[in-house]
Amino acid sequence: MKQRAFFVLVCVLSLFLLFSGPLSAKEIKTLSQFPMSGPVGSLPEFGWGFIDGMNWVNNEGGGVNGKKIKWFLEDFRYDPTVEVATFNKYCAEHTPDEFLMATGYITGGLKPLIDKVNKEEKIPWLDGSYSTEIFGDDGGPSKYPYYYSLGATYGAQLKILLKWIKENDKGKGNPKVALVYSPTAWGRDGIPEAKAYAKKKGIDIVAEIEYPYSATSATSECMEIRKAKAQYVIYHGYSGASGCTAIFFKTAKQVLKDVQLTGTHYTTGRMPILVCQDAYDGYVGVATRPFVDAVPRAKTPMDNPMVKMAHEFAKKNRSSEYQKGIQEKDAIKDMFLYMEGLTYALMLQKVLTDADKAGDLSREGVKKALDKMVWDFNGMFGGKKFSYKSHTIPMLQIFKAKVNMVDVEGKKVPTGAVVPITDWINVDEVKW
Amino acid sequence: MLSIENLRVVYHDVISVLNGISLTLNEKEILIIIGANGAGKTTLLRSVAGMIDFYDGSIIDGDIKMNGASIKGLDATDIMKRFGLTYVIEDRPVFWYLTIEENLGAASFSRWDKQVKADIEGIYSLFPVLEKLRHRKAGYASGGEQQMLAIGMALMTRPKILLLDEPSLGLAPLITEELFSTIEGLNQSGITIVLVEQNAHAALDIGTRGYVMETGRIVLDGSSRELLENEDVREFYLGSGKRERKSYKDAKRYKRRKRWL
Amino acid sequence: MVDFTQALGAGTLVGLVYALLGLSIVIIYRASEAFNFAIGEFLVIGSFLFYIFFFDLRIPLLVALPLGLLAAGLVGALVERFAIKPLLGRSPLSMTIITLGLGFFLRGCVQLIFGSHSYSFFLELPDITQEFGDLLFLSDPIWAGILSLSTFGLILFLLFRTRWGLAIRATSENQAKAMAFGIDARFILLIVWAISSACIAVAGIMISNFGALSSMSSIVGLRAIPVVLIGGMDSIVGALVGGIIVGVCESLAGAYIEPMGLVGFKEVAPYLLLLIVLLIRPYGLFGQIRIERV
Repeated sequence: MKQRAFFVLVCVLSLFLLFSGPLSAKEIKTLSQFPMSGPVGSLPEFGWGFIDGMNWVNNEGGGVNGKKIKWFLEDFRYDPTVEVATFNKYCAEHTPDEFLMATGYITGGLKPLIDKVNKEEKIPWLDGSYSTEIFGDDGGPSKYPYYYSLGATYGAQLKILLKWIKENDKGKGNPKVALVYSPTAWGRDGIPEAKAYAKKKGIDIVAEIEYPYSATSATSECMEIRKAKAQYVIYHGYSGASGCTAIFFKTAKQVLKDVQLTGTHYTTGRMPILVCQDAYDGYVGVATRPFVDAVPRAKTPMDNPMVKMAHEFAKKNRSSEYQKGIQEKDAIKDMFLYMEGLTYALMLQKVLTDADKAGDLSREGVKKALDKMVWDFNGMFGGKKFSYKSHTIPMLQIFKAKVNMVDVEGKKVPTGAVVPITDWINVDEVKW
Repeated sequence: MLSIENLRVVYHDVISVLNGISLTLNEKEILIIIGANGAGKTTLLRSVAGMIDFYDGSIIDGDIKMNGASIKGLDATDIMKRFGLTYVIEDRPVFWYLTIEENLGAASFSRWDKQVKADIEGIYSLFPVLEKLRHRKAGYASGGEQQMLAIGMALMTRPKILLLDEPSLGLAPLITEELFSTIEGLNQSGITIVLVEQNAHAALDIGTRGYVMETGRIVLDGSSRELLENEDVREFYLGSGKRERKSYKDAKRYKRRKRWL
Repeated sequence: MVDFTQALGAGTLVGLVYALLGLSIVIIYRASEAFNFAIGEFLVIGSFLFYIFFFDLRIPLLVALPLGLLAAGLVGALVERFAIKPLLGRSPLSMTIITLGLGFFLRGCVQLIFGSHSYSFFLELPDITQEFGDLLFLSDPIWAGILSLSTFGLILFLLFRTRWGLAIRATSENQAKAMAFGIDARFILLIVWAISSACIAVAGIMISNFGALSSMSSIVGLRAIPVVLIGGMDSIVGALVGGIIVGVCESLAGAYIEPMGLVGFKEVAPYLLLLIVLLIRPYGLFGQIRIERV
């Protein structure tokens, strides 16, 4: 009899222990999704940067005022449906008071989730999308109160480029600009805003060309631009690493000798230096992040604290991947992706810490913290601070590509970087 | 020289076509194989020529021996090169989109000697009509010309044994006669010939020996003369027996009279 | 007029590369009546093999090119041996479907081995850019045209002037007949796949040289579909004409129709033309009307 009583007691106690734990301690949960595989290729760098960042946040970084973040990382394979499904799954599995934030990386995933995120779940959502449609004047905080972007919209990027063209054009009369963009939602995004702005500023859009990803030749496109006597080309909506970009730049180098090539964020960076080589020299582009990865990597300027941190993290945590050559498997091919993962981790920590300090560690509290945030993002923007009132990080910088071909063991290889030619520009404060 | 022992062949693993065939081929003879449609004559030739697997058939029992050595499972090209056995498949096996000359060239692909050109001229002197058409596409030649070309092509492989599968199919009687005399001539020049025919009369006229096949079996064999005189062969393959069949009932009775059934 | 000549010339140069792609489809179609849907992957693999010899091992171009093509041919032969040969004598449809699956398999292999990022591709051929007044023909497309045309010519010579070509043409017409006359149809088929694969590699190298090489370059292979359908699935001349038509059509659409506001028409134009051609001549412009004798 005594034994049985003891047994029951043990059972009750263990049951109590089993359920009391989760009841008492509320966890901080976040979900992050990156396109680490799929049709765009294998981009594990996103995940590496994020994992290294989160591990640092939870251990050395101090967590959220000492509390650890229970973070989840998923690969959505560049497929919006996967992103949506994963998000729905996490919403069902985790309670709203614990699951505080989500991040994504594709415009196509934002659209189907508009109602779910902004009206049903009301969960702050950080995204890598620069979509003008969602974060521009026609969307923005009033329409999508829970969507936040980590960069300025394509519309803003194009407008900054046009503004730069207008201000730097030395010729007489209106500068003549040709728009070249991909026939995708991405390529078409921001084009109407850019055209309206050009009209306002007195810039002639002399050609508008949809140049497809599957192109085998850019001759007719370039000849058309030449015929239109364009002085500038804005190349928008392409991955800098894709073959069509190389075709366009190689052809433009020969056909459009006196034309200034310009472009948006994803063609401003490391990959075009490698793929287009000296055809990329002289290109002017905007980017939402500091240039993080020169060719060769050892030559990357480390004066930006965020860039320095990314390289140090990569060197420490992923030393073999960091040192591998560009064409080897599992190499960090572009530090931008690694830094991008890292910035997400830092942003999560910053926001959750702010919300915790304000005493409201809930979805609403996180939203308030985001709206109130004024931050320099670890010095990423040359010490400048930004506010999140437009729900985008409104910082842009204009860069110019400098590429040199050097002989290495009898083989010509490109070296170079894109170097800033302006200060960081806060597009929320620009007088358009 | 060639002997087939109890050969059994199935297509697609299920359709049994040859159910235990045994026959022998002696050197320098013209062996006639006659039989109705579906008796398995073509399958027999395919098996001998090593092409049965190409048609998704397989030999499940028995053996094919050339001078005592088994050639079962050898490739068609192997058999041709090693034993000089050439199989002229049924229905005028010429390449329609190649010219007559190219056809002869294609047929000599397995040869690397310098005699090819001379041999082609030889074929032209054997079939003068081909020389006139040498640059025409074979597809536009007449049936008889195509059949001559087919035999010419077979000769280009310098065969010792020639398997002919219904060469007279669709040819006018006069041309058939001409063809068969050509075949006889080839035989006299030392080529052993296996002739599968439905035109039993003409075939047996030039043949040395003959086999009668029915539903995958040999049902009768003997010298050409014996077969020509055999009452059943006359009735069922030569069509020159007593013509008293009048009704379906009678036909049934005739069928029962086949001695081998 | 200048614009027209420009578009025509540029279209023809790219069209010659497409013609080579068409040719490689046609010779396989004639040999086994199968459509090689894995052409895009063959293109990528062929280009990567050349890439290894030329860019990684730094073998001089004149040696690296034959080596690369040989390796590409070898891959074609291997593929034939393991994927196509077991189907010999079966329905051509099953072979076509196998090539579809093969495409997916090879794409996976390429991504596994080479990853999916872009590789820079600069052949550094001598600059032969031609410029007459407003007309401008760039060096790379001219080289591509020349090399594609000479490869095309080489294949024609092989097919119509050599004994192996004769055997290929005979086998293409009828495998059973060819085997009966001592032509090893299986080996010939292997050779046909190897030749086709090498041709695709030439086209792939030329197109990669316009831009860069990545596993995504395989889309270009699909250009062969309008080429062979316009020219006729079984016609070698048709491949040449079809290739030029598709190239010129794209180029003219880009020069004349797209500026009218129909952006993206360039992509669709060859297919529109294809539709018209097929309505008038269902076998394609040069498709052989089969000799039927009963």
